[in-house]
Amino acid sequence: MAHIWPIGGGKGGSGKSFLTSSLGRVLAGLGKKTLLIDLDLGAANLHTLVDVPYPVKCLSDFIRKKIPLLENTVLETPVPNLYLISGAHDNLDVANLPYERKVKILKAISKLNYEWILLDLGAGTSFNTLDFFLISQNNIFITTPEPTSIENVYRLVRSIYFRRIRQYFNAADFRVLEEEVIQQFGEGSFNKPDCIMQAVKRAHPEKSLQLENDFSSFRFRLVLNQLRKQDNIALGPQICKIIEKHLGFQVDFAGNVAFDDRVHDAVCQRVSFLDRYPYTRTAYDLRELSKRIVNSTSEQLLMRYS
Amino acid sequence: MKKNFATLNYYEILDVTPDAAFFEIRHAYNASMQMYRADSLVSYSFFSLEERQEILNLLEKAYLTLINGKERKNYDKELIQLGILDNVGGKVGAKRSTGIYDASRQWGKATVLKDNKSTLKEKVAQNKRINEILSKQEISGADLKAIRNELGVAIEKIAGETKIRMDYLISIEEDKVKRLPAAAFLKGFIKSYLKCLCIEPLDGVCVRYMDGLARIGKDN
Repeated sequence: MAHIWPIGGGKGGSGKSFLTSSLGRVLAGLGKKTLLIDLDLGAANLHTLVDVPYPVKCLSDFIRKKIPLLENTVLETPVPNLYLISGAHDNLDVANLPYERKVKILKAISKLNYEWILLDLGAGTSFNTLDFFLISQNNIFITTPEPTSIENVYRLVRSIYFRRIRQYFNAADFRVLEEEVIQQFGEGSFNKPDCIMQAVKRAHPEKSLQLENDFSSFRFRLVLNQLRKQDNIALGPQICKIIEKHLGFQVDFAGNVAFDDRVHDAVCQRVSFLDRYPYTRTAYDLRELSKRIVNSTSEQLLMRYS
Repeated sequence: MKKNFATLNYYEILDVTPDAAFFEIRHAYNASMQMYRADSLVSYSFFSLEERQEILNLLEKAYLTLINGKERKNYDKELIQLGILDNVGGKVGAKRSTGIYDASRQWGKATVLKDNKSTLKEKVAQNKRINEILSKQEISGADLKAIRNELGVAIEKIAGETKIRMDYLISIEEDKVKRLPAAAFLKGFIKSYLKCLCIEPLDGVCVRYMDGLARIGKDN
């Protein structure tokens, strides 16, 4: 079964696509059959980073049933062992995916026969992003050492928490729960996942137990990207600690990736940064990161969709 | 979901073990402050204004309790009574190092000399021999020693107060010119020495001492 790793981060421009393509290249270089899927629906550009400028087929062919099997939308890239499902040429309305279609995609993804599948998710906390994020228990958050980006990571973590709780209830039950929470904790408390959890515990003890097991099985990882020399290198571990202490999520710090102006050059020239500048700090960080991620995967279970 | 932050005990708040040494507590407090301070990047947007203030207050309280040996003992007793901490044969606190920082210490009573500033001043004003020496054109190290002896202050006390090395003080008092530090340092040393003995004017006496040294240098 494939290791599925969604990569998300809340804020745009924090390096999700770059990290996905770099990790993909390293994994492919290690001889692992790796598939990248561009799920940044409506703003896809992963194909550009792996040098497939004219993708002939893409995810929306599957969504619109032009291609019945998801396997057949896979494109080969110039890199051996690296494959891509592009999100380019999407229809203009693809960003707003109905739920049934989404479930169909999620099911199809979990059946794909690759060693590694990396999902490049979009910015923001739309349900699309959250649902794709929750497909696997191994996730990567990416952030830069800026307040804007960190703010969005916290937002994303809370949204995922919220979304997970939501998935355990049907719409009517959830509305009842919502009213209960507001009654107990006052206006605005519905935005606090821990308040909701307390209410769940009271009203549905068996579901709360399930949820707690569920949450503790998640292994989130945090990558701190674009770390400049003057930035605090302890920032990543501290972010993990605060999430663990106040939200109860176990988040492992996966590593820093140094900032490098040449990433921009490599993207502009549409070549692989790792090949073009292999002896930079950034390239070293990326290789180390991949090693750590490869070694850290225990057997993983796919959730609900498989 | 983990326990609410406000219900954690002080050790859990600071993320230290109950047998942590004082310096570990201080480190833990500094690390937590880095995370929870208002201008911290880590907790930016994570808490609302009130939540943050609440957490900071808790941290402050936890730190001030645990860093103070007496209060910490009382707090441990409370925890033991609540059954949160096991009292394994009174071992709690047995391993602890003693605090370098004494929380019950009061500032302003550091040395005897500081206390006696006013009495020293009076003595200087009244003592005839000191006034005689101070009216001289040039002042030597031996003169300084004489003044010190008249006032009854031990040389160790001056060393303690001024943090000047003993061998320098002895060289100054015995006029061992070759062993003296460079002039720039020497001036500073002499001034602190005089200040310690409450002799005025500082600059005037210092200049006369340096003049004396200069003459000795020329004679040699």
